[in-house]
Amino acid sequence: MQMFGSGLIKGLAITWKELFTKKVTVQYPDEIYPLPDRFHGKFKLNKDACISCGMCVRACPNKVITMETETVARKKRLLKYTMDIKYCLFCGLCVEACPKNALGYVKDFELAQYKRDKLTVVLAAEEPLPREEKERLEAEAAQRAAAAKKAAGARGGSAFGNKAEGGE
Amino acid sequence: MLRTEEFTLNMGPQHPATHGVFRLILHLDGETIVKAEPVLGYLHRGIEKLAESRTYTQVIPYTDRLDYLAAMLNNLGYVQAVEKMIGVEVPERAEYIRVIVSEMSRIASHCIATGAYALDLGGFTGFMYPFREREKLMDMFEMICGSRMTFSYIRVGGVAADLPEEFYPAIKKFLQEFPSCVDEYDGLITGNEIFQARTKGIGILPAEKAVKYSLSGPVLRGSGVKYDLRKARPYGIYDRFDFEVPVGKNGDCFDRYYCRILEMRQSHRIIKQALEQLQELPEGPVMAKVPKVLKPPKGDVYHEIEGAKGILGYYVVSDGTVNPYRVHVRRPSFINLDLIDEMCRGWKIADVVAILGSIDIVLGEVDC
Ligand code: SF4
Ligand code: SF4
Repeated sequence: MQMFGSGLIKGLAITWKELFTKKVTVQYPDEIYPLPDRFHGKFKLNKDACISCGMCVRACPNKVITMETETVARKKRLLKYTMDIKYCLFCGLCVEACPKNALGYVKDFELAQYKRDKLTVVLAAEEPLPREEKERLEAEAAQRAAAAKKAAGARGGSAFGNKAEGGE
Repeated sequence: MLRTEEFTLNMGPQHPATHGVFRLILHLDGETIVKAEPVLGYLHRGIEKLAESRTYTQVIPYTDRLDYLAAMLNNLGYVQAVEKMIGVEVPERAEYIRVIVSEMSRIASHCIATGAYALDLGGFTGFMYPFREREKLMDMFEMICGSRMTFSYIRVGGVAADLPEEFYPAIKKFLQEFPSCVDEYDGLITGNEIFQARTKGIGILPAEKAVKYSLSGPVLRGSGVKYDLRKARPYGIYDRFDFEVPVGKNGDCFDRYYCRILEMRQSHRIIKQALEQLQELPEGPVMAKVPKVLKPPKGDVYHEIEGAKGILGYYVVSDGTVNPYRVHVRRPSFINLDLIDEMCRGWKIADVVAILGSIDIVLGEVDC
């Protein structure tokens, strides 16, 4: 038969040891615990890399992301990229879906806000291009397309010729 | 003659010992329970319904929110159900990673069960120790998938990303320390006389009854029924590991509690073996080739795995479109609650806390 109280003494011995171990807590606002690279925190968008394909919008289960685009010379241009963070599950499906790695996280978890509307985060906002600029770009693109067509025709012929020469 | 009458007491919905928003209406005769009526639904979010308007991949983050204490296992159950439907071959490497993360999740869940149980019975120190190890596990999960609780890490066809470099030293250190940590729980909680007095012989659940009500997990095994899906019907690659299924004898609160402690040791063994075998594998993909938009053929599938709390089953019906027609989850916590009335009857109010804690429910899963 065990002596009554021996379990308690054993427990005390275990807690006593803890007095001499290293402290693991950090003084939060002054010190921040190191975050891993894959941390799901605040979002960031690399505007230049984004091709406005909308994959992230479609991947999101909770309709967090909305995107406005305009099409200039058959190319999509990002106007506004908004995230309604209050509905975000931080699941990472959007980041995973992005083919250009334009969307990512930063190591910041301090997302709390005092006002509800502050929770809608605008990650990119651009003015639509003025009309003249648009027209200029369209015209340029048309020119380029025509030139490319011509070149492609010419190159196609010479490529065949080159190959024949190389074979000799 | 003194007139006595039955007294009704509400335990919860806001009561720390119910581990969430759960209400138990206790009908009392003095301090003795005459009847216990559970009231559920305070945390109902309609996850099964939400799933119907999401694509198959988009359901994964919602499964995290069922049993949020062991989210990897929820991910795994759902994903394997969908995989059964579309029939994909999961890369070897991903299978090992899945085993490692699910067993880590099981340990994390059992750490909470153990710690919270000590707290329920009045031992605050016993609460801190298992939480210390859970914290380490969560740090590792954060390295793997960026989140601490709602992981959304397992994907149809594999896992989201390979294990990062910094994970290996962390898990090795953890595996080395963990057995002595469990010894500490044993010393602090299991061996404590007060704890034993409050759990041994309390809330006895006979094996036949547990089987009859299809209880599962440590609650079933605590009653001496050796049934663990990882052994009985191995899914994934569980047949490659050497581990035991711990069982209790008396089916009392103590046995249910102690089963979890022993299971943690077994999970530790599985992780160790899985990690060794994983490191022998060559580098390779962690995702099978699956289409971006999943469209399983018409039909239904039921798949169950051994969750932290018991048998976790997913029933998924497809109508051939991109959204599931119906998703139903067999939630172990919910079914394990079936016998709460019978288990509580005849015991005192203080024992209700011990009984409820030993079932280890998580309300995200009970209410779904
Ligand atoms: S993390 Fe998930 S919920 Fe949040 S925006 Fe991305 S896909 Fe949507
Ligand atoms: S998926 Fe990436 S490239 Fe496409 S719109 Fe979203 S952020 Fe831009």
